[in-house]
Amino acid sequence: MSSKSLSLRNISKRFGNVIALDNFNLEVGVGELVALLGPSGCGKTTALRVVAGLEHQDAGTVLVADKNISDVPAHKRNMGMVFQAYSLFPNLTVEENVAFGLQMRKVSKHLRLKKAHELLDLVGLDSQSKRFTHQLSGGQQQRVALARALAFEPEILLLDEPLSALDAQVRVNLREEIRRLQLSLGTTTLFVTHDQEEAMAISDRVGVMNSGVLEQIDTPDALYNKPASSFVASFVGTMNRIPAHISDGMVEIFGSKVVALKRGNENGKVHALIRPESISVVATTAQGNAKVLTRSFMGASSNIICQTSDGTIVQSLMTSASTGDLLPGSSVQLRVLSSEVLVANV
Amino acid sequence: MAKALRVRFQPPLAVTLLILGFFVFIPMVSAFEYSIRTPLTGGYGWTHYLWAIREEEFFHYIFRSGWLAGLTVLITLIVLVPTMTWLHVSKSPIRPLIDGISLLPLVIPVVAFAVGAQISFPEFVQNTVLELPFLYFVLALPYAYRSLDIGLNSIPLKTITEAARSAGANWWRTITAVIVPVIRGSVMATIALTFALSLGEYTLTVLLHWDTFPTWVTFVAQDNILGAIAISMMSLIIPFLILTVITLFVPERSMQGRK
Repeated sequence: MSSKSLSLRNISKRFGNVIALDNFNLEVGVGELVALLGPSGCGKTTALRVVAGLEHQDAGTVLVADKNISDVPAHKRNMGMVFQAYSLFPNLTVEENVAFGLQMRKVSKHLRLKKAHELLDLVGLDSQSKRFTHQLSGGQQQRVALARALAFEPEILLLDEPLSALDAQVRVNLREEIRRLQLSLGTTTLFVTHDQEEAMAISDRVGVMNSGVLEQIDTPDALYNKPASSFVASFVGTMNRIPAHISDGMVEIFGSKVVALKRGNENGKVHALIRPESISVVATTAQGNAKVLTRSFMGASSNIICQTSDGTIVQSLMTSASTGDLLPGSSVQLRVLSSEVLVANV
Repeated sequence: MAKALRVRFQPPLAVTLLILGFFVFIPMVSAFEYSIRTPLTGGYGWTHYLWAIREEEFFHYIFRSGWLAGLTVLITLIVLVPTMTWLHVSKSPIRPLIDGISLLPLVIPVVAFAVGAQISFPEFVQNTVLELPFLYFVLALPYAYRSLDIGLNSIPLKTITEAARSAGANWWRTITAVIVPVIRGSVMATIALTFALSLGEYTLTVLLHWDTFPTWVTFVAQDNILGAIAISMMSLIIPFLILTVITLFVPERSMQGRK
């Protein structure tokens, strides 16, 4: 296996007055798939391009297997890359595209075509090998791009939002395929995306970026359940921000007290950060603490939007079976299901 | 099938063809008709063409103009393709300036250009005919530049370039193995325009006291106007044939796919 570990140490990069990366650090282990997630302009693509050698950092070092490659040109880095836009060479057939990297490495025609067919077989496109790229669908083109990036056995695989131009169903299928291939080949992979579902679904670890800084890097579970900052909490998944009162480490929400996990103000007004699935909505004939605004049926679960008596909008995610009587306008009682909540300053 | 072959009458196309016919085809056909007249017998014949081919200077000058034009094409491609690729990929702020500069040869009078070259170039440059391809390159620049510009603008150049580089291609291989084949149509148009312009260039050549095919034709015309027309007709046909052969025999690897 040619896969290697990747380290970015104290990387800084500016574009004019804009800071794209600010003392950025990242470690990716051998065979690991790490996603960089964040809003547009957070610096995730710049980080990937610095690794690829397509941008040069202003400061800091890039190491592959502890070897400094900061000044190695892009074409000598041995990194496979899949781009957001379809980047196949339109003058070449599918098999020639996949074999391109091997051709640049002066591998004999027989061997490179053999390898190209192996890879095309892996992505289920061997039967299309003689076609030109414009004759393929978007999903097929990205599969070919993936095969091309893997054909020369790269030390690191770099994925720059490879699914963002595809239809919803194709995206889901292809992301599973990327993960399957990555696991079977054991290729160290850095995956940039703005789609949290994508990142959470296939990554070993997810790094959430904001304004050129890595806010938190952790497993998808930990990131969702134990966000390190208010930004991560809000960016990953849906989060209710409910005005509450904190005193002595306890937060009072909807009439009951729960333990504050991260403390903002020790005493006074805060926002309690609660996931929709941690809020239950129960219909009541008496005067409840909220009213139902809408109920969206989504199959197994339903999304209930309520408004509390003080005007706060609260979202709850419940199994559809228990939401039959939650009609718009009906009086309901909201309750926090978790025993601990995150808080943020108002 | 007959229905598919029927061409609908389109007034704009008809007007264009009419203008083209009047100002291009009629003079060309007339010149050809004139060149095959034999005044002594009052009929038609290939006398002047046979005379031209028997002139030993005919092949000397057409060969000279041919290799000068070929060299100009080579200089144009070597200078322009990497430069313009870089300008496009880097989104350089100086690109509008270069765009403007590339148009200058259209507005600079050739006479001024030639005199300027004579005054400023060192003697060793002026002593060799190799100065001509470089000057022809300048004259062909506005056309070659536009033609390549259209090709480079029509493809996702940045992504393709980065894909090639990350797959292991250095800049040279990226240009020769990816960019040039992808914009093949534009490159062919650049070759055709530069070659044709260099082959027919007269003013600059004569002002710099060099003899090429067009200057020789003018010289011949002083004694034998019909012969000069015959030579000109052949000089039109020869590059046309060369370009047709290039188009036919360079393998088609276009985006339209294999037939």
